[in-house]
Amino acid sequence: MGKFSYVLKNTLVNMRRTPLLVFATIIAVLISSFLVFTTLSARSIVQNNTLRWQNGIHVVVFLDDRVTTTAHKQLQTSLESYPEVRTVDYFSKPEAEEEFKNLFRDQPELLAEVDYEILPASLRVNLNDPSNYELITERLEGNPAVKEIRSSGEAIERLLSLTDTLVISASAFALLIGFAAFILIINTLRLAAYSKKKEIKIMRLIGASSTYIRLPFIIEAVIESLIGTSIAVGFGWALIEYSKSSVVADSIFDITISDDYLIFLTISLLMSSIIFGLFASFVGIRKALND
Amino acid sequence: MISLKNVSLVFQGGSVAISNISTEIKEGEFVYLVGHSGSGKSSFMKLLYKEYIATKGEIEVANIDVSNLPRWKTPLLRRKIGIVTQEPQLLESRNTFENISFALEIMGNLPEEIETKTNTLLDLVELNDCAFKYPGQLSGGEQTRAIIARALANNPVVLLCDEPTGNLDPDLSIQIISLLEKINRAGTTVLMATHDSSIVNRRKKRIIELKDGKVKRDELNGSYVVR
Repeated sequence: MGKFSYVLKNTLVNMRRTPLLVFATIIAVLISSFLVFTTLSARSIVQNNTLRWQNGIHVVVFLDDRVTTTAHKQLQTSLESYPEVRTVDYFSKPEAEEEFKNLFRDQPELLAEVDYEILPASLRVNLNDPSNYELITERLEGNPAVKEIRSSGEAIERLLSLTDTLVISASAFALLIGFAAFILIINTLRLAAYSKKKEIKIMRLIGASSTYIRLPFIIEAVIESLIGTSIAVGFGWALIEYSKSSVVADSIFDITISDDYLIFLTISLLMSSIIFGLFASFVGIRKALND
Repeated sequence: MISLKNVSLVFQGGSVAISNISTEIKEGEFVYLVGHSGSGKSSFMKLLYKEYIATKGEIEVANIDVSNLPRWKTPLLRRKIGIVTQEPQLLESRNTFENISFALEIMGNLPEEIETKTNTLLDLVELNDCAFKYPGQLSGGEQTRAIIARALANNPVVLLCDEPTGNLDPDLSIQIISLLEKINRAGTTVLMATHDSSIVNRRKKRIIELKDGKVKRDELNGSYVVR
């Protein structure tokens, strides 16, 4: 009890001695953890949306109006015979017009201007494996009934590549800020250890163990790290909740992320912050206490 | 209680602090370790509580094989030894009571035990009136007595005092020596390093004199003549 209260008291005394450094450390940990939390959440959201999109239409084959409807139907039959294809739906010109009007119902000026004759009929293809979209486009190349081919696979790949770039950049930035937090913790602890040099020397002469001498410093680093990460995680949860009810949520982008994933992310970040604090304190006071 | 066999201490760079010393101090003895500055007194003391590690030889203190004691076990050795060093050892931000109870606190004593034991120690060193004074408000002698009290907090079997009277006038020095003798009479082995011949010669105790890191003289009821 006596030992525990000593450790706790000294942890608080250390933190009170260098409030600005402690504050800076918490902010650095906060920014770093927030970046990690938001980028990993964003990546999960993109992946969820990608999966959703991949379950929909994968290839749209716009048909040439100049060829006959029979040719269109032949192409549909031919597509349906491919082993990679799950379903093929024919979308006629009137249906295309209807869809366009529905999509842009809020823009009457646009609807008034459009020449609906230019909207082609199309075949909407759903694949067993969306990554096979290239096989389909290659086979249809040069077919006189085909006006243009669009595949969602390409867009998804671009989006995933963009997300990956975003995650890598944000992770690099988070790493940089994390390193700054690491240096700040080391400096805070070294200052605290230096200001208690005499006390530490006496403790060693009396026979206090090395672990016992280090404990207040270790706890300080872990507390700073945990505070920063907890606030960051709180902000992260709040941001996701806000996004769900924001304009973004009304778009084609679905801001859904499972609670299980968020809880996993939160626990992982908090555990990492403890390990981070322990490691930083180990490095920070090793030299200071060996002197 | 304390035993050294062929102990040497050579610092990096080759300077010899202790050269092939063998000696023994029995339980309950009071021994003065004397010699000029640089003769090796402090190094001798530091070897006993493993602040320095002997280059050669065997050291045993309070039945602990210091020479082969792993570094992480050093605290176990120090809990059996009371150490009073030359450097100022009181924490300025704590009063006398707190400076003494600090040793009990970090050893995990309960608050009631801490209070009782600290008051007993204050009694022993006659500092009851100074319990709530801060180091800056204490005289040199009072400070030394407070340090001795703290060194005794965990009931050590050996008390090592490195020049405890170094900064004190003769009267205060005698007070400190009397206190150490009182502690010794209660059963604690005392080894005191000093270069103050006037103190040593009056007390007629065992003297180990060091010169250039070697034992020059080891006499019971000896005297120390500064040449």
